[in-house]
Amino acid sequence: MHQAPPPDLSVFLASSAHDMKNSLGMLSGLLEKFLAEQNESDFSGYKDLSSMLYETRRINNDLMQLLALYKLDQDLYPFDPHPVSLPDFLADLAAQNARLLAARHIALTCDCPDDLVGHFDEDLLQGAINQALNNASQYTRGRIRLAAAQVGDMVEIRVEDDGTGYPPAMLGDETTPLGVNFNRGSTGLGLHFARSVAALHKNKGRSGTLRLENGGSLGGGCFILQLP
Amino acid sequence: MADFISDFTRFKFLVVDDFSGMRTLLRDMLRECGARDIDEAANGKDAASLVSRRKYDMVLCDYNLGAGKNGQQVLEEAKVNGWIGPLCAWVMITAEKTPDTVVGAMEYQPDGYLIKPVNSALLYSRLGKLLARKSAFAEIDARLKHKDYQGALALCDEKMVQEKGVYATDLLRWKTQLLLSIGEHAQARQLFERILAGRDLPWAQVGLAKTMQLAGEYEASRTLLEQVVAENPANVEAYDWLAQAQDKLGQLEDARKTLERAAQLSPNSPLRQNNLGDAARRLGDVEAAEAAFRKSMSVGEHSVLKTPDSYIGLARILGDRKQTEEASRLLRKMPHAFNNETVSIRAKAVEGLIARQNGNEARAAEAGAALADLVKNAQGAIDVAASMEAASLLLATGRQDEAVGLLSVVVQNNHDNNTLMAQITDAFADAGLAAEGTQWMEQARRETVALMNEGVLLARDGKLPEAVAAMRNAVETMPGNVRVLLNCGHVMLLALQQRFDPALKREARQILLTANTLCPGEKRCAQLIAQLEALKA
Repeated sequence: MHQAPPPDLSVFLASSAHDMKNSLGMLSGLLEKFLAEQNESDFSGYKDLSSMLYETRRINNDLMQLLALYKLDQDLYPFDPHPVSLPDFLADLAAQNARLLAARHIALTCDCPDDLVGHFDEDLLQGAINQALNNASQYTRGRIRLAAAQVGDMVEIRVEDDGTGYPPAMLGDETTPLGVNFNRGSTGLGLHFARSVAALHKNKGRSGTLRLENGGSLGGGCFILQLP
Repeated sequence: MADFISDFTRFKFLVVDDFSGMRTLLRDMLRECGARDIDEAANGKDAASLVSRRKYDMVLCDYNLGAGKNGQQVLEEAKVNGWIGPLCAWVMITAEKTPDTVVGAMEYQPDGYLIKPVNSALLYSRLGKLLARKSAFAEIDARLKHKDYQGALALCDEKMVQEKGVYATDLLRWKTQLLLSIGEHAQARQLFERILAGRDLPWAQVGLAKTMQLAGEYEASRTLLEQVVAENPANVEAYDWLAQAQDKLGQLEDARKTLERAAQLSPNSPLRQNNLGDAARRLGDVEAAEAAFRKSMSVGEHSVLKTPDSYIGLARILGDRKQTEEASRLLRKMPHAFNNETVSIRAKAVEGLIARQNGNEARAAEAGAALADLVKNAQGAIDVAASMEAASLLLATGRQDEAVGLLSVVVQNNHDNNTLMAQITDAFADAGLAAEGTQWMEQARRETVALMNEGVLLARDGKLPEAVAAMRNAVETMPGNVRVLLNCGHVMLLALQQRFDPALKREARQILLTANTLCPGEKRCAQLIAQLEALKA
């Protein structure tokens, strides 16, 4: 008798992750739509609704990062660096987060030279910067700055907030894992993902880097990504 | 170049998703962006039908569409059938990017990917940029469609001078594509090298490796591609070309492993699965070959890129195992699956050959009769593979005249292909007609050479108008003979140098491009085209 082989867990992983992403897509889309139709002054549930959108975004970010890291680890990720207009890229990020930031009364400014062009995998970078923006929106006092510039032979992207800044243990570009800190709801995933994405981008022997600093133009936390 | 189109009201959109909730969401988002003309489709079949009937400016298509065709297959079908023009932007929507949902080759690539979730602000921003980009490249694309490669190149160079931003790399990529299309492999290679001097771009590395193979430098190509896959382990295109290099170097076992890896990453390509099956077959691994051919057939079920080779490959395996009934059943499915004369001819020929192989002479004769009918009623040209298979069966079932009819065409178009000529000799021998076969072939070759030389001799004597006429006649008789095509092009060039005529120049260009299509990489072809293009009134 020919026995069927036991089901491969990775198949379930792939299909259910896909399923979850689709559900999250619907959830996120409908929440955005709902939020757009409401007026903060007329609708008492406005704040809760924006929290729902934030949490959905968080889940989606985590899922996306887990999937990407899994695929990278298994050599399955279709890494696709191509030329990207930085002003357009930042504008896209602003657009993606507009409703959420507005609901939380956070002002976002974008700073970028008109003709700056970077070479990277747009989807991966979007994931990393979205994560940084999400984090910043939690700790900011009301302002976030998204900036890009040419620094030497690297393109630098910064997410700055005007909050209390990163704890000392997180500063610098150390590669030691930070561990889970349930107090701050941090799993270390976001940072690990952003570091992995940076390092993936190479050109002529140079690799991308990530470092965290305090200060910057808003005096709070600075998430600084550099790509060759 | 304007890099954003903000007014969506005049564009025609198509939204394709099997989930109605998602369709509604996308539709609402498009409305928010100002779109007014939005069609919907819930599956690949309906999407293909709509696209074939209406000229959309933008298609938003989910990759997964439930049972039947997936989004990529709809796109391929649309491109192969010419349903979408240079101004139509195709955006593939997907929950995540994986090697099997992403296509590397420029030919069938969508214009962009959108990863869920999207919101209306992002949609507006992305689509506005895409529409502008399509508009910027539409003219180049249009010239390409009309085979005006030189015109497309000129436009590329023109735009490159002005463009310093994001489109610059796209233009370079277009240029490499165009250079390869007209057989200018050396120039393409130089351009790839120039691009790579600035940045390590995988697509340029694969392109460079391609040009190396076209120059016969398989060793160098293999080394480069091994490096590319080491650094980019999910780059399917690189694996495909690596397998080809290894095959050409006689490293069949390595080629097979490489194809296995590629198929693991991206299993939904009927062509890739077929190549894997073919490699396994040549290595004597019949089981693996069978599995791959079956996979090719199943992933190709809804694909316009499915290949008859996998059906025939499987049928032959079944025939070798004496499973003639199953083989016949499989082959009889082919005409319907492919709706193509040549394929039907091949299927019938192989059916008969398998029957004969298994001692069923009656069945073979039956197939021979049906085949003769198909050949007689064929409207278009029958390719070499089909002609050879058909001729084998026709000879074996006593239909010598029909066989010779087919083989004459093959000889005329390939008289200097010794491998093919040897195969024809063998086919005659198999049918017990060795002496007649040899005699006939000698005569056919002599006639072909005479016809070909007629024009060349006239040209040598300075009788250019007569030479052109004679070469034209030769091309009409032997439209697939590369040597004849090139000689004709050459003779026409000589005539043009004596007296310029735009119509003749166009004719010559067309002939040379045909030669280039039949024999990519032929140096003489590129030289002649270059000389032709340099001619002015």
